[in-house]
Amino acid sequence: MKERKGFLYYFVRNRNGMIGLIGVSIIVAIGLIGPIFIPKPDGYTADILIAPCAQHWLGTDNLGLDIFAELVWGARTSLYVSILAMLISGVIGIPLGLLCGYTRGWLSEVIDALIDIFMTLPMLPLMIIVAAIMGTSITNVALILGIFSWPQLARVTKNSTLKIREMPYIEAANCLGLSKPRILFKHVLLNASGPVFVDMTLVMASAVLTEASLSFLGLGDPTTWSWGTILKRAWGQNAVISSPNPWWWWLMPSLCIVVYVVCFNLLGTALNDCLNPKGRE
Amino acid sequence: MATIVEFKNYSMGFKDDDGQVFNLLDRLNFKVEEGKALGVVGESGCGKSMTSLSLMRLLPDAATVQGGEIFLEGKDLLKASEAEMRDIRGNKLTMIFQEPMTALNPVLTIGQQIGEILQLHHPEMKPDEIRRLVLQSLVDVGIAAPETRIDQYPHEFSGGMRQRVMIAMAIINHPALLIADEPTTALDVTIQAQILDIMRRLKKASGSLMVITHNLGIVAEICEEVVVMYAGRAIERGTLKAIFDGPLHPYTRGLMASIPTMRSEKKPLHTIPGSVPTVYDFGPGCRFAARCEHCTEQCRLTVPPLKRVGKDHLVQCWLTFEGEVIEHA
Repeated sequence: MKERKGFLYYFVRNRNGMIGLIGVSIIVAIGLIGPIFIPKPDGYTADILIAPCAQHWLGTDNLGLDIFAELVWGARTSLYVSILAMLISGVIGIPLGLLCGYTRGWLSEVIDALIDIFMTLPMLPLMIIVAAIMGTSITNVALILGIFSWPQLARVTKNSTLKIREMPYIEAANCLGLSKPRILFKHVLLNASGPVFVDMTLVMASAVLTEASLSFLGLGDPTTWSWGTILKRAWGQNAVISSPNPWWWWLMPSLCIVVYVVCFNLLGTALNDCLNPKGRE
Repeated sequence: MATIVEFKNYSMGFKDDDGQVFNLLDRLNFKVEEGKALGVVGESGCGKSMTSLSLMRLLPDAATVQGGEIFLEGKDLLKASEAEMRDIRGNKLTMIFQEPMTALNPVLTIGQQIGEILQLHHPEMKPDEIRRLVLQSLVDVGIAAPETRIDQYPHEFSGGMRQRVMIAMAIINHPALLIADEPTTALDVTIQAQILDIMRRLKKASGSLMVITHNLGIVAEICEEVVVMYAGRAIERGTLKAIFDGPLHPYTRGLMASIPTMRSEKKPLHTIPGSVPTVYDFGPGCRFAARCEHCTEQCRLTVPPLKRVGKDHLVQCWLTFEGEVIEHA
């Protein structure tokens, strides 16, 4: 497998990609392993609103719970939600985008209309309604995010496909006897994969943000910690404007969200550069 | 000698939005014999590419077949199923293109791309065997250091090298017919000569060749038979010698006179005035009438008859030629 070796060779030399990969790995490791060692913050203690110190690295909230522990448990939720949302939107969006871009006629128009309809729907209010109806489990939140974020992935895939469809190498593939599904899911998809990968990381990033918004609005899962839940509680207790200000309470989850989104973005952009043999130089 | 491909009274046209059909290819008749090369010559817009796409059964959506038959080794391709066609494409019938720069998939190595075609038509082949045959095919088309080249991507190849890769891909399954659509147009003159050399060598080694070109020089280099097309009609066809030594149709004569030679005198090169009409502007008579210096009222109104003027020479024109016999009206 020389091709894969080539990809890795270029990837490890891509500085942004490595920063993104390390960041993502750390978050994944914390999300997966952290909760094994750190007990789930629950109930209340007497150590309320303590600033970061040796015992509570990132301080405590108004119930005396450790912020670091909350963030660790929140990382797990954010990972779960964003990966599930990305998979769902990928499974729906990529094939629909390919079909919409490659075929001509009614199928293409139906998918196009569907994308348009979903894109014009006001996403957040609709998610609030759906979340309210379906109940606020963390899996439901991921499902809703996936179902509502496939259209942008489908559109990106479609736009790339439209361009690639007209390339002589696709005509050549036809002339050499390749079947339509093979052309579509191998030759077209491989060429479209750069922008599609980047967009998938964007879907992950926006899933974390939207999950935080939903939690912040009180539509998250009340039984699990997420970065949005922490923010919501901080906001609910006026932590952002009160004085003296317990800055660690709202700043730390915000930083986590920013770092997570940035790392996935760096990773996605680097994948885009390294998957395209021409972009490696 | 076996006939590889035969067009019999084949006609096709384009449908507009109202469903009206505009004829382009009008009753094409010609054959490609085993081991021979046929040149299909004409200006842009004469239907040369539609001829090859008809053979591949890859016509655009708006195109519609109006009649006739296309045989490949005795089998009517127009009646073949899509699955049968997929099996024929890349295997018995293959094609190389004008644009070597964009005719290879940029994200796959050339080994993967050539190998895929082999694997597709020989699913039982093992990876080692495929790699060995792909390497051999690269050697066959004159690519140096194939062991390194096989794992490289198209952008690491020059235009001429890519065209060689295209040829390697097209011949890996030993096709009965290789269609070359303007195979050298996008290449440097020196590279053109090398590519022609490869094609000539391959023709000797394997099947037949159909060269689609507007370059009469290429035809003279590698073809034995010539079909001159104008606006969808095969207005003159015959052996290379017959056509080049005694072109009869005013269009063919115009084409021949337009070639610069080393001995050209100091006078302007001959040109044919006007341009090829589009499919929507064809008149009822000879489609070349508007540009022909011998045009008569009859030419404008009635389709000229096909005349046999020699053993291997046919021409479709109202002019009178020595020894002509009307083949059919």
